[in-house]
Amino acid sequence: MKNYKILDILRRGRTDLENHLIDGLVDGRVSRREFIRHGSLLGLSLPFLGSAGFAAGFGGMPSLARAQGTPGATIRVASSVPTAAIEPVSVADAGGLLMLQQVGEFLCLDGPDLVLKPMLAESWKPNDKGDVWTFTLRKGVKFHSGAEMKADDVVASIDRLADPANSSNALSVFTGYLQKGATKKVDDYTVEFHLDAPNGNFPYMVSSDNYNAIIIPADYKGDFEKNFNATGPFKLEKYTPKVGASFVRNDDYWGEKALPDRTEFTFFGDIQPMILALQGRQVDVINQLPVLAGVGLLNDPNVEIISLKSVAHHQVHMRTDMDPFKDPRVRRAIALSIDRNKLQKGLMRGRASLGNDSPFAPAYPSTDTSVAQRQQDLTQAKQLMEAAGAGKGFKVTLTTERYLEIPEYAVLIQNAVKEIGIDLELTILDQGAYYGDAVFGKSNWLDSVMGITDYGHRGVPNVYLSAPLKSEGTWNSAHFKNRDYDQLASSYIAALDLEAQKQTAGKIQRLLLEETPIIFGYFFDYLTATAKGVTGVQPTAMSQNYLDRASKA
Amino acid sequence: MVFLGGQVLPGNVGRAILGPLADQRAVDALNHSLGLDRPLLVQYWDWITNFIQGDMGMSYIFRAPVAPFVIDALGNSMKLALVAFVLVVPLGILGGIVAALNVNRPIDRIISLGGLSATVLPEFVTGIIFILIFGVWLDWLPIAAAWPANAGFFTQVYYLILPAMPLFLVLFGYIARMARSGMIDALDSDYTRTAVLKGLPWRTVIWRHVLRNALLPTITVIATQTGYLIGGLVVVETLFRYQGIGSLIFTAARGKDFPILEAGILTIGIVYSVATLVADILYSVLNPRIRLGTEQ
Repeated sequence: MKNYKILDILRRGRTDLENHLIDGLVDGRVSRREFIRHGSLLGLSLPFLGSAGFAAGFGGMPSLARAQGTPGATIRVASSVPTAAIEPVSVADAGGLLMLQQVGEFLCLDGPDLVLKPMLAESWKPNDKGDVWTFTLRKGVKFHSGAEMKADDVVASIDRLADPANSSNALSVFTGYLQKGATKKVDDYTVEFHLDAPNGNFPYMVSSDNYNAIIIPADYKGDFEKNFNATGPFKLEKYTPKVGASFVRNDDYWGEKALPDRTEFTFFGDIQPMILALQGRQVDVINQLPVLAGVGLLNDPNVEIISLKSVAHHQVHMRTDMDPFKDPRVRRAIALSIDRNKLQKGLMRGRASLGNDSPFAPAYPSTDTSVAQRQQDLTQAKQLMEAAGAGKGFKVTLTTERYLEIPEYAVLIQNAVKEIGIDLELTILDQGAYYGDAVFGKSNWLDSVMGITDYGHRGVPNVYLSAPLKSEGTWNSAHFKNRDYDQLASSYIAALDLEAQKQTAGKIQRLLLEETPIIFGYFFDYLTATAKGVTGVQPTAMSQNYLDRASKA
Repeated sequence: MVFLGGQVLPGNVGRAILGPLADQRAVDALNHSLGLDRPLLVQYWDWITNFIQGDMGMSYIFRAPVAPFVIDALGNSMKLALVAFVLVVPLGILGGIVAALNVNRPIDRIISLGGLSATVLPEFVTGIIFILIFGVWLDWLPIAAAWPANAGFFTQVYYLILPAMPLFLVLFGYIARMARSGMIDALDSDYTRTAVLKGLPWRTVIWRHVLRNALLPTITVIATQTGYLIGGLVVVETLFRYQGIGSLIFTAARGKDFPILEAGILTIGIVYSVATLVADILYSVLNPRIRLGTEQ
């Protein structure tokens, strides 16, 4: 039952945008899950969102309280080897970003449920246009060195990432939205971000989603590996490149103190030794477990699997500017020849969600779920091939990378398209050879007529909508150029309002189903394996892992 | 050659470090900061002059001096090679002797066929089997070959037994066959027949006349395996999480970390040369004909 009196109280002092979201919840246009997620994006606090949900007749918020484990454990984690120095500006791999996150914190945290939560920022809000976002910082946060974290540190940390002279891995996130100098200190605890263009999802850009964006001191000299000086619940004990790292509890932490006394990270060059180490009880956690390689652990009674819904996926691109894929009917025919249920249940052992040939995964609240799911339809596929003048089939090469289950996926596609007369030749390369220089003309990824490419998890679809699909996108391996699409993608990214996002998402989904420059077959879950009796391990789909609540039985 | 070989590989260092999805400006900035946008000859001259003066340079990916990485990894590889040698050389030679003394009997067939079969099994297969048996099921030996800090000699050896086992299988058959073949030739030779006929005890014949001649080819084989044991154990090092020079070079090659790659390959080259020299010296010590030939 709705309590309008409380709702009226809650609406007072809120912006039009926030009140519009509350209206959506009250009249049923927005689900409670969407309300919580989008409300958190707009900077509404979780207690506020819970109260509004309660007043709108949805009951209380799901309890965030977790069972308190036993303190004092040493949690041992198997991780991939960081491929380069642990340097917040340039880290670009799973092993490296896991190290950053053990000690570092972000302005906000993109949790496993894709809901933004305050971290070093207590709150944030956009202006009406969505091109200026104001963040209020938490007071009393100290770096491990003892200095207090203030606005100057935030400005310096973000400017460092937005500076093209700094070989920043975060440039690909900020380009077009945030330049060096556009992060401004208002006072010691308030920071404004002045964007180049409106962006309704901006807080994700400075959240844990942008794994480089940990806040470090303003006077940082580029020597992070010396002491890993940041603000998190653990402090560095020892880091040895290529070997491992250990961390100890930070007793000066601003929040609830970590339960474990220590955490130990052991770096492995391959998944198989990690599995053996977990089975041999030499580690407690495997940070990331690929489904196919780890299939033996999925039903092991001594192992618990933490499975997170993620939007990581493998894009199958087809060159829209080149035969035999110039005609969208041929591209649609290929997409229709694939049995996605088989991919989900067989290849991914049920640890995936179906893709519908757009970046809008089921996990995103802005995804328009009224758009029909594309299913295998060989009859229609053959008709499309006939209509496109390709009824006799053709021979074409699919080039891809040797990574996770991509080679097996390629073989399944090869078998599927055989049914409609296409002879698919596979060229499977190591990752270095596949990506090459990663610029057009010097990359198998960007130049191949057809290929499969791995894309990691993102809390919002902005990057997927831009770089691989926009006409001028730097990762546009399908060479897809469509003005209508470009405009739709830009207006989706700019939209602050969830309903406007949903409406545009629906249009994008339908356009991409018609054009099918890229097949999005499935979005695979992020798996973490723990030994039985280990609790409180909280991974994210970005390969981060929060161990401050972890304990052992 | 290593320097030039590295330059013709596809991709560039900045891209390898920042990943395929990094902004091109970031890649260019990183390449500039590493000095990789300078002419090749200038880069080569800088590298070679520093190397000659004992400065191996800075690692591109770890942004730290190369020397400690190479020295630590070489030390680790030598420790593993030593444990493997200590296990396989005496047992391989013994197996060869036993087989030769029992030619065409079941024990000979078991040693020859078993050794040969074990040699062709890849290390990653035998390694996983050993880990499952001794590390997971029996829980006797540590799975990873990374001993705790400040571990003593015996602790380090304890951690190296499991990774040395697949190496034992790879080399045992090879060494045993060489020893067997040398023994059979020596046993058939005139000087052995003479020694037996002049009434020397059988043990003296074997020790003083047969073994000394029979082991000469085996020593050459052992010397040539030194390079493999020190630089060629990428699979074993990866499986047992061991920081040897093989995996260091492999990582450097994948990450286009040329300073480590070049220093690592040169180091292995030096190890090969030293091992060959030691084998030559040993050969001449054991074979007086070579020494006499030189003197004449």
